Amino acid sequence: MSYTSQMSQNRIVVKFAGPSGKGINTLGKIVSKSIKNSGFYNFAYREYPSLIKGGVASYQIDIANHKIVSSSRDTDILALLTNQSKERYLEDIRENGVIIYGKDELTLTDKEKEYIEKKNLHLLSLDTTKLALDAGGTEIMANMVLLGFIWRLLSLKPKALEEVVRETFKNKDVDMEAEISCVMAGYNCELAEEKLLKPILFEPNEKLDKSLSITGNQGIALGAITAGCRAYYAYPMTPATSIFKFLGETYQETGILVKQAENEITAVQMAMGSMNMGTRAMTATSGGGFDLMSETLSCAGISEVPLVVVLAQRAGAGTGVPTWTGAGDVLLAVNAGHGEFPRCVISVSNPEDAYELTQKAFNIAEIYQLPVILLTDKQIAESIFNTDELPKPIKIERGLKVAENRYEITDDGISPRWIPSEENPVMLVSSDEHKANSQSTEDSTDVIEMSDKRMRKLETLKESLPEPKYIGNKDAEIVFVGCGSAGNAVEDILESYPNIGYLKYQYLYPLKYEKIIELHEDGARIVIVENNQNGEFAKLIKQESGFEIPERLLKYNGRPFFIEDILDFLNN
Amino acid sequence: MPIPIIEYNRNLPPTWCMGCGNYAIHASLKKALSDLDIKPNGTLIAFDIGCNGNGADKINVNAFKGLHGRSIPLAIGSHLANRDMTVLADIGDGGTLHEGLDHLIQAIRGNYDITILIHNNENFALTTGQATATTDEEKGMYGLPQGRPEREINIAQLALGQNPSFFARAYSGDPLQMIEIFKSGITHKGCSVIEILQSCPTYNKEANPQWFAQRIEKLEEPIESIEEAKRISSTTEKIKTGIIYRDNSIPTFYEQVGNRKGVETQLVDEVKNYDISKLLSHLE
Repeated sequence: MSYTSQMSQNRIVVKFAGPSGKGINTLGKIVSKSIKNSGFYNFAYREYPSLIKGGVASYQIDIANHKIVSSSRDTDILALLTNQSKERYLEDIRENGVIIYGKDELTLTDKEKEYIEKKNLHLLSLDTTKLALDAGGTEIMANMVLLGFIWRLLSLKPKALEEVVRETFKNKDVDMEAEISCVMAGYNCELAEEKLLKPILFEPNEKLDKSLSITGNQGIALGAITAGCRAYYAYPMTPATSIFKFLGETYQETGILVKQAENEITAVQMAMGSMNMGTRAMTATSGGGFDLMSETLSCAGISEVPLVVVLAQRAGAGTGVPTWTGAGDVLLAVNAGHGEFPRCVISVSNPEDAYELTQKAFNIAEIYQLPVILLTDKQIAESIFNTDELPKPIKIERGLKVAENRYEITDDGISPRWIPSEENPVMLVSSDEHKANSQSTEDSTDVIEMSDKRMRKLETLKESLPEPKYIGNKDAEIVFVGCGSAGNAVEDILESYPNIGYLKYQYLYPLKYEKIIELHEDGARIVIVENNQNGEFAKLIKQESGFEIPERLLKYNGRPFFIEDILDFLNN
Repeated sequence: MPIPIIEYNRNLPPTWCMGCGNYAIHASLKKALSDLDIKPNGTLIAFDIGCNGNGADKINVNAFKGLHGRSIPLAIGSHLANRDMTVLADIGDGGTLHEGLDHLIQAIRGNYDITILIHNNENFALTTGQATATTDEEKGMYGLPQGRPEREINIAQLALGQNPSFFARAYSGDPLQMIEIFKSGITHKGCSVIEILQSCPTYNKEANPQWFAQRIEKLEEPIESIEEAKRISSTTEKIKTGIIYRDNSIPTFYEQVGNRKGVETQLVDEVKNYDISKLLSHLE
């Protein structure tokens, strides 16, 4: 069987590319929201460099007639805000695709010319600045002309676009009527010839108007709000920072205390202090900041203080490729911190997951009194998903109980924990090894007894966790195993290929691996899909189960998995 | 009737050296809490690592013995969650000036309503006597018996340089003054930084009671001008103790938090499911 690009018939893909800091982000958000409000599902993916002005940024919107959670590599319409941005994207355009560029001549290499001819691409020079000025706008409104023009190519009615433009700029100091005139100048531009049109032929779904345009980080923030998280301790680091933004911008409505700390160590210490005191608190960071938090994870582990930390992964070691995606911190999450202590690692892959699993993270942290690491990655954190409805809120469970000894030895490993207050007994928690009554100890029997008690929590927790989610046909011949955004591209092809299945992991540690072995024994071809260089999740599976996944599909160039990556793998 | 001081005791033998300043510091702290009628379970102390931290299970209050250098942010996180609780950070000169110096500066800047007790015994004692930034530059210490090239840090000048709302200096050999300083620091609304000159008969033998007696001068009243406070704190020939500087006009962190004004409840009282439907309308 051939895994052709028949997928492409199910999507229309638009991409804006240009210099960073020139409004690409705003353009992308407007298009994504307007498409949704016109009744079409879309997935919007953002690329940008780690600098404020200059460099190439892009926004890609994949449009489909059903819910999608990943991007294509190839586009139908590529709009270049400056011609310098062509190199990166020119080779990823589909047959009969359209390239729109500015008034300056687009200089092409022989190879590019050949490619354009072979793919029958249409090139169009559009002087958006002149059109903006002619329409009574200013130079800065050239992007609005481009917006209107693209809208025309997609053959959509301008009403939804106009509404979103008005909504976007309503509190900004702009000449709104001039902005709209520029949108309409683009829309009515006579250069939109028949051969350039990429009409969206799917049946619009009117209910989509009321569905959400939401990022993974917004899902995490909303999950935290729902779960009664009352303090958020922040330190900026891409791609975690937008959780801070959402919680900060909504703090009047929520009453959450949002505190920007002096560094990640402070942020996580404050979160631990607040959690121990009896409220719910959270912090979020990326790999580098998480490294700094490691010692505190270990402290929370032995002290048995609940802790929730979001680890939003990006590409590379050190500073790496800071604004790009990756999943190279799976083993970091599982192993960070000195000494041995129980923990829970949860992986989100979309905003619904993020919303639900953030709430679960708080319940697990409190009931089991351990650090919970919520893994996400840049592709999930910052891409815009369409969601009809978020799942129902999860009941808060805290496992609070007043008793004589804070570290009582129990069969399930869970000791009593209470909120310090004048109504309750004094509570001592300690990162020293301790006896049941919290007193420090170096006695060899005490050390073993308390270490064993703590580690029993991991078994108790494992029993309570759900099995990984199997998505797809039961008798699939090929089953991908993965977590996070890597599997989203797999999810998006399942409908077209009934012989493919996806075993999606949300709870990575403690790991339930029996399902993988069962699928393998039933004869399925098992493939791990991961956005990293060494197959970290596969290593974890091997470590826990002894089973080595026979095939690996890995990608570690900073880009997310595109659907073509999965199809190419299947074809080879 | 005040809470009997015995209520703050845990029935555990202390592990400090004979003559260690920690005995008097602990006794004074218990007396201060008792005098102020602050209950053991109405108090939380975030303990650092070091000889002072080994007192975490020797006092009967809510306590969190955490990591080296981090007791200040741990105390701040605890305080923000429940401002009805009296929160202190208990830390040494090593934890304050080395591992977690940023935290002291940021705590003063934020003026959180907590009390920071800095045990200054001029060395890392629990690890058997390495130099800290308060050890005399030329004094031979563990690992570097010829002294070190770095100059010393004066805690008072460092703290006063950040415009604190409360800075005091106590001496472990004067428990009566220490009790009064602790009481003033705990009741002060804002971040109270208290440096305690702590005798260490094992690793800082030079600073014995006679040495302190020759140098200490007690202040009756805080100094009004911060510049003057810095000046009089800078000499080691004469060591001023007492409340060195106080400014009650600086608002606390919490008073300045835009979305918590007029909110009566504490964060610990607010854990429940929240309805997000209004927030979702922004995302439609």
